[in-house]
Amino acid sequence: MTLIELVEENIIKIPLESNDKPDVLRELVQILKDAGEIEDFDATLKAVQQREDKQSTALEDGIVVPHGKTDAVTDLRLAIGIAPQGIDFDSMDGKPSTLFFLLVAPPDMSGPHVAALAEIAKLAQSKALCKALTRADNAREVVELLTGD
Amino acid sequence: MSNLIRKIMVYIDGTEHSVTAAQYAICLASSTGAELVALYVINTKAVEDLLKARIFLQDEQVEYEHDMEADARRYLNYVNELALKKGVSVIKKSSKGSVNREIVNAVKEDEIDLLVIGELSRIRSRRDEFYDETERAMRTVPCSVLIVKDEEKVWDIYESLV
Repeated sequence: MTLIELVEENIIKIPLESNDKPDVLRELVQILKDAGEIEDFDATLKAVQQREDKQSTALEDGIVVPHGKTDAVTDLRLAIGIAPQGIDFDSMDGKPSTLFFLLVAPPDMSGPHVAALAEIAKLAQSKALCKALTRADNAREVVELLTGD
Repeated sequence: MSNLIRKIMVYIDGTEHSVTAAQYAICLASSTGAELVALYVINTKAVEDLLKARIFLQDEQVEYEHDMEADARRYLNYVNELALKKGVSVIKKSSKGSVNREIVNAVKEDEIDLLVIGELSRIRSRRDEFYDETERAMRTVPCSVLIVKDEEKVWDIYESLV
């Protein structure tokens, strides 16, 4: 399974409404809940928060990759949130974060989990694409940008 | 047919598609008498990339590599059980590194005649950022490649195998 297979309009939210880190994590997990991708909201949030407590997953140039392993999901689950206004997420470069890729997976799918995270890492290297994603007006546009249509 | 396919390798990556590929490969090995090798690649290259990108912490790198080693054992044992039920023996093989490179190396080393893989991504992106390591291996291996589709049909074929 490649990351692109997980990208659908119903797992994308623009703009994110939260203003701080804990709320953003909740909002991203809520996207999965609303899309019917998870049943156990609390367990999923806990998995992501536990990783985030060790060190922020905010990289440079506004990109954040919250991730975690949990039995609350049976397959890889992706949520994308875009905050054009920028949110303080303790990023490496100190800049506000704008592009959020939440990825959760069951513990026994470490291979596909790692592969999907690696794809996000590669995507994060494309500054032009990330800038275009941050400027997207709606979920449809994000899907089109990622599929290259 | 038995001379045409003497050695089959099925690539297992922990997805449902790869388990379906294994079921098909077992049926194929049973009907041709070919030797069957099941390969799982522990993708340490991706983990290293994630550490460099600072998405992973050092302890996560160790944790995920251990997880993948456990997954490799679990999935290869599962394929072995599936094969034994049908009277087919499997050579279990795991390696570490880049998925594409490890598959190609294993095919060459073991002189594989046919590589069996699960269904590839149904959605294609024209972006270079999205690439499928298995698809890359499919294009690079020196042997023929069989892509297994239709999970339900393959299950029926596997179940009907005496």
